[in-house]
Amino acid sequence: MANRERFALHVNGQIHVVEAEPTRRLLDVLRADLGLTSVREGCGIGVCGACTVLMGGRPVSSCLLLVSQVHHQEIVTVEGLGGNGVLHPVQQAFIEHFAFQCAYCTPGFILSTVAMLEKEPDLDEQVLGEYLSGNLCRCGSYLHILKAVRTVARGRQHGFS
Amino acid sequence: MAIGRSVPVRDAEARVRGAVAYLADLRLPGMLTAKIVRSPFPHARIRHLDPRPALRIPGVVAILTAEDFNRPGAPRLFYGVDRKDQPVVARDRVRYVGEPVAAIAAETPEAAEEAAQAIEVEYEELPAVFDPLTAAKPEAPRVHEDCPGNVFLHTRLRHGDLEAGFAAADLIVEETYTTPPACHAALEPHGVIAQWADGRLTVWSATQAPFVVQETLAELFGLPREAVRVIVPPLGGGYGGKGYVRLEPLTAVLAWKVGGRPVRLILERSEEFVTLTRHAAWIRIRTGVRRDGTLTARQVEVYWGAGAYADITPRLLRSAGLVRVVGPYRIPAVHVDAYGVYTNLPPAGPFRGTMSFEGAWAYESHMDTIAHALGMDPLELRRRNLLRPGDRFCTGEVIEEAFFWECLEAAARHVGWDQPYEKGEGMRRRGRGLAVMMKSTLPRSRSECRLVLRADGVLELHTGTVEMGQGAHTALAQIAAAETEIPLERVQVIGPDTAQVPYDATTSASRATSMMGAAIREAAARLKEEMRRRAAPLLEVDPEELILQGAGVTLRGRPEVWIAWEEVLRRHGLEALEAHGVFETQGGLDPETGQGIASPHWHQGAGACEVEVDIETGKVRILRYCAAAYAGRVINPALATLQNEGNMVFGLGQALMEQIFFDQGQPLNANMSDYQIPSLRDLPEVLESVLLESPEGSIHGLGEMTLPPVAPAIANAIFDAVGVRIRDLPITPEKIWRALHGE
Ligand code: FES
Ligand code: FES
Repeated sequence: MANRERFALHVNGQIHVVEAEPTRRLLDVLRADLGLTSVREGCGIGVCGACTVLMGGRPVSSCLLLVSQVHHQEIVTVEGLGGNGVLHPVQQAFIEHFAFQCAYCTPGFILSTVAMLEKEPDLDEQVLGEYLSGNLCRCGSYLHILKAVRTVARGRQHGFS
Repeated sequence: MAIGRSVPVRDAEARVRGAVAYLADLRLPGMLTAKIVRSPFPHARIRHLDPRPALRIPGVVAILTAEDFNRPGAPRLFYGVDRKDQPVVARDRVRYVGEPVAAIAAETPEAAEEAAQAIEVEYEELPAVFDPLTAAKPEAPRVHEDCPGNVFLHTRLRHGDLEAGFAAADLIVEETYTTPPACHAALEPHGVIAQWADGRLTVWSATQAPFVVQETLAELFGLPREAVRVIVPPLGGGYGGKGYVRLEPLTAVLAWKVGGRPVRLILERSEEFVTLTRHAAWIRIRTGVRRDGTLTARQVEVYWGAGAYADITPRLLRSAGLVRVVGPYRIPAVHVDAYGVYTNLPPAGPFRGTMSFEGAWAYESHMDTIAHALGMDPLELRRRNLLRPGDRFCTGEVIEEAFFWECLEAAARHVGWDQPYEKGEGMRRRGRGLAVMMKSTLPRSRSECRLVLRADGVLELHTGTVEMGQGAHTALAQIAAAETEIPLERVQVIGPDTAQVPYDATTSASRATSMMGAAIREAAARLKEEMRRRAAPLLEVDPEELILQGAGVTLRGRPEVWIAWEEVLRRHGLEALEAHGVFETQGGLDPETGQGIASPHWHQGAGACEVEVDIETGKVRILRYCAAAYAGRVINPALATLQNEGNMVFGLGQALMEQIFFDQGQPLNANMSDYQIPSLRDLPEVLESVLLESPEGSIHGLGEMTLPPVAPAIANAIFDAVGVRIRDLPITPEKIWRALHGE
């Protein structure tokens, strides 16, 4: 294949060197090359949030990023949350509050929530809207997602998580 | 007790870890990528098609065109669950923009893409027709040569003396309502993998109907059913869009041409918009009513735009397309005429709330027009006419479980219907609206299951029910646990895989929990009977003296004698004990009169809301929405509530936002930025879900029933607020603004 280059990606705490055309989408690299299938394609144009990953702690759409743009960047997918088989509190809350149906959107919502909780000490409706309206749920699980998110946020204020 | 408890879904942890393997996550060795070459014209003759330039591209393995079907031993070109009018790939003629004319299998997506560009096709455009009403005119261009006037089916419902009914009325109201094509927009696109080995076909498909796919493919290739195996991974949403047969024939024939290597087709988002849509419907409704609000007659005429191929529409028209457009009312005379019409648009099919959505849009908006004309409270008008238990519906069947009033009343109460409120005077006006609906489920369909009790104490439930997010596998496992008294943790769900599980018609029409649940009950009863028979000799008693209790067998009057089921198996040297369960619904309607049994039970839902309309911009804000459904016996309250909320959110999109715009057959908004679905920001300020339970009632699916009322409830509230009646969905600010300004 023409003009392949090597890129170093820091994904979930590990360094992966991938060989790819610079225009290859991060989404495809993560899914096809690294087998991280929690990252999913929904719309392909940055609207649905199913392909959300964290880059430097910020939620971004991996369908809009090229591999050449993420060289040496810190990437986190849902596979990298929690640790030692333990679920992250946000994942736990999503289970407890039935915050999904088909769950195709779930990893994206979880990552957006994780980023929001890290960055925003005060959660008001506006912040919630800003962080979470970039993720779509066609099954319409929104009310339960909000319940889960608010519960973790409250827990955090009380010093958990 | 396993029933009535909100247990988390079976694979909840995998779901939050992103570890559920959807179709796109399956990897098979040697798997090729498929790509479809599609028609750019709504109606055209194919003058010339040459795949050869594409074959020279490195990495291209095979190209399928209609030519291939002429080869000896080739599969049939045409398929369809009712009329076999749809070609796997177009021969001579294309009938909608996006119709497949060729398909490519290649080593990489890039090679497939390049090949798709390289295939040379020459078209000669033909006159086309797009809306169902124009298409049904005798002089309209023909979508299919053999179907002049484009009406491929006309079904009728005839109940009572219509003329006498209208003569008895003080007032007759006639209106016309329309709904446009819409897109299911599941976040997971359609996907299929097909592979041939030794004359046998295996298909992995994101389908809601594995057994229909199996039957269709077997017929297409002239194979016995057993030679086709269909495996279904969990779905990332279905909503009807993955119902029946979609891309499986094309992928399977392409794989047949490849021979041996697996071929995978996953649609791009833009292709979703030309794969299956909601029907474009044109509904004329005419009702006679007496001054006191008593309905005397109703006549409904519906043109269902089916798109270029009949698909499932004929089946729907024989029942759903008639009974779902009348409304849950006691009306002495009802006539319905339903027309299935070909147009030069993509095929239309099942869509969450199929045909009830369109029906309720018309009859529930219409009810408010009538109430307004009579100067009567809309709730009161409905109260006087709603079906009550023991009433006869226009099909002649008696409705036993009838809770329409209870649903409607509950929803109305939640928005404070009987309390006075400020309508406002300035730029923002408030209004309230409500709506109720009745939906049939499928008559004449069958669900089977198998229960396998293993010697290690695990109970396997083999079922063809598809898990698409509704939590069906969890609810079914709860039913199996409750019926056998085996702890829920020990119930394993296997399937859907046609090679492993017994027949099930389809996972749609909210039938899974109710029908599969009934099959499980029967299998459990058989299993217990068999257990009693096997345990009797071990305890040296008659089977009649045994009582089944707590996944074991005990002796009548002597509870200290108890032996576990797995112990019974072990002592008989059995590895497993199996029992089969079948549940079938009867009925069906006479296509000439619409009389008979339309549904084994009726889905019932209502909604009420309060809205604010900005008269400067036409923008609508939903301040409060309450959806109430008759839920019968609830298996898992949390999952039931999720379904109900899903209905509302889905319904909001259908009511206010969603429409595929076609310009001369070309889809203009085939992406998720121009075709918007509800996000968190579109939710009402208050959204309430009410489930009316009845522990003695039957089990009802809940995935649809509160969806159809959403659009008319909102439209009625808008009318209440600003006196403007919107009759064409979706209700956009522009339409409201125009109506307000007399345009
Ligand atoms: S796939 Fe990236 S945002 Fe939808
Ligand atoms: S749970 Fe299905 S899309 Fe969100």
